[in-house]
Amino acid sequence: MITVESLTKRYGHVTAVDDLSFTARPGHVTGFLGPNGAGKTTTMRVILGLDRPTSGAALVQGRRYLETIRPLHEVGALLDAAAVHPGRTGWSHLLSIASSNGIGRRRVAAVLQATGLEAVAHRRIKGFSLGMKQRLGIAVAMLGDPPVLMFDEPVNGLDPEGIQWIRELFMSLAAEGRTVFVSSHLMSEMAVTADHLVIIGRGRLLADTPMGAFTKSNARRDVLVRSPRAGELAVLLAARGAAVTPQSGSCLAVAGMDAPVIADLAAAQGIPVYELTERHASLEQAFMDITSGSVDYRASDPVPERTPIS
Amino acid sequence: MTTLQTRVAAPAAPPPAVRARDLLTGEWIKLSSIRSTYLIMLVTVVTALGLSSMNAAVNTSMATGRPETDPLLPTFIGLPYAALAAGLLGILAFGSEHGTGLIRTTFAAVPRRRAVLAAKATVIGAVCLAVGEALAFSSFFLVQAILSRHHHGVSLSHPGVPGAVLAEGTILCICALLGTGLGAIIRHTAGSVAALFGVLALPAVLLTVPAPWRDRIGRFTLPFAADQVVVQHPNPSLFTPAVSMLILLAWPAAVLTAAAVLITRRDT
Repeated sequence: MITVESLTKRYGHVTAVDDLSFTARPGHVTGFLGPNGAGKTTTMRVILGLDRPTSGAALVQGRRYLETIRPLHEVGALLDAAAVHPGRTGWSHLLSIASSNGIGRRRVAAVLQATGLEAVAHRRIKGFSLGMKQRLGIAVAMLGDPPVLMFDEPVNGLDPEGIQWIRELFMSLAAEGRTVFVSSHLMSEMAVTADHLVIIGRGRLLADTPMGAFTKSNARRDVLVRSPRAGELAVLLAARGAAVTPQSGSCLAVAGMDAPVIADLAAAQGIPVYELTERHASLEQAFMDITSGSVDYRASDPVPERTPIS
Repeated sequence: MTTLQTRVAAPAAPPPAVRARDLLTGEWIKLSSIRSTYLIMLVTVVTALGLSSMNAAVNTSMATGRPETDPLLPTFIGLPYAALAAGLLGILAFGSEHGTGLIRTTFAAVPRRRAVLAAKATVIGAVCLAVGEALAFSSFFLVQAILSRHHHGVSLSHPGVPGAVLAEGTILCICALLGTGLGAIIRHTAGSVAALFGVLALPAVLLTVPAPWRDRIGRFTLPFAADQVVVQHPNPSLFTPAVSMLILLAWPAAVLTAAAVLITRRDT
């Protein structure tokens, strides 16, 4: 269990985390979502006692991490897969960390096997791909067989097979009763892995909800209608209680009314309809809607002006 | 890929808390598992023995057995350069971990940061003490073998000589500990190297200071103190060899203490 209570972290004048509270519970994969720069990594660092909170607290299993007696047996964490000494072998990297907590060679061999790194264990990390480094970082997190696991952007750099593997790993870890806390800036990734969501933007909590409830309340549906007499049709549909938003190119976005009903109404009035498309807003879109007010870095114009090459 | 055999229920006998021995083992594995450690040690040994024996050979061939030169100083002429390499080894203990970001994994695994500092200092200090003493004695025998052919040698049985050789052997360890502390404070390899070089080059700065003050200030510096513990005829305007030894130890002690104070206060 991870409990974050009114956590605030400022670096000089920059507030990275702003009065954040949430709980990641055992037996669940909790997705920690937010745009880049939202404060996810800072929060994780505070949880691990690496950064000191300006105010508030982060507790692991009810205690401050700095007070833990057997750290690797309490929390396993992958913060940055690239944070390794390139000249060391995977085996030495793992063994040096394991040894500091009194964990032996047998366990090191076991986590290497579990992460599929056995074959490359005695190679220098210098030659590892990003995906292999991610696996190595996950191996480190699993060394102490901890009840709480934290992963910061773990799917970065993984190939599709690796992503599939990591999803199954997270779900099986949670099924064993562990707390699995995974950060990501990709909603689509969390949608298939997490069963609980904590969404933050600019350091503030935006949503703390079970995945199912989030999907239900945010799975917006509407119907795109194209008609040469769009204006006329809009008045008609609005009169029947639909929410109609005019779109470009004589199109209408109609919410709150099913496609067959729209078609029947149009036919009854003799209004021609060229297109009728049911649309489902993706969770990615829902996530972007929630965080739209809190994105730090955004391209102001989707397509920058370009000079045509003559 | 197999799934990991895991258990969530607490094991019958929970593993004990992090112990000093475990920390030392971890740091020893870190030190011994990278090539640069061996490379730096090789440079250390070659520099110390090479410079000392070359100097002995050249000076005796001139056959001027200059009486003003203390008999042991030429023996150890290479040691200060070797000590610089040992200092770099110390700096890398924290410098490389901060450079790669590995320090976060280290501190997450062992949140008691002072224990990490102590473990790194102990392992590196022990290695450099062993290498330093071995170098001091082998430099001594090598150089004396060269000098004795020209009858300028000093015997190890001569009073004061064994102590001087032993004291010279600590220089590498002292520099390595100084480097460890600087690396922990500055958290940047290049910056720490500059700082270490600055500390070791203080006497060069003192050349601009008027004569009586040169010694009055200089006796607190590492190079002056290091020479004073070796010479057979101590410079009366500097500290005694015993006090100079304390000066030598005070430098790394002060820097490591500062590191211990800072290390728990800063975000990583």
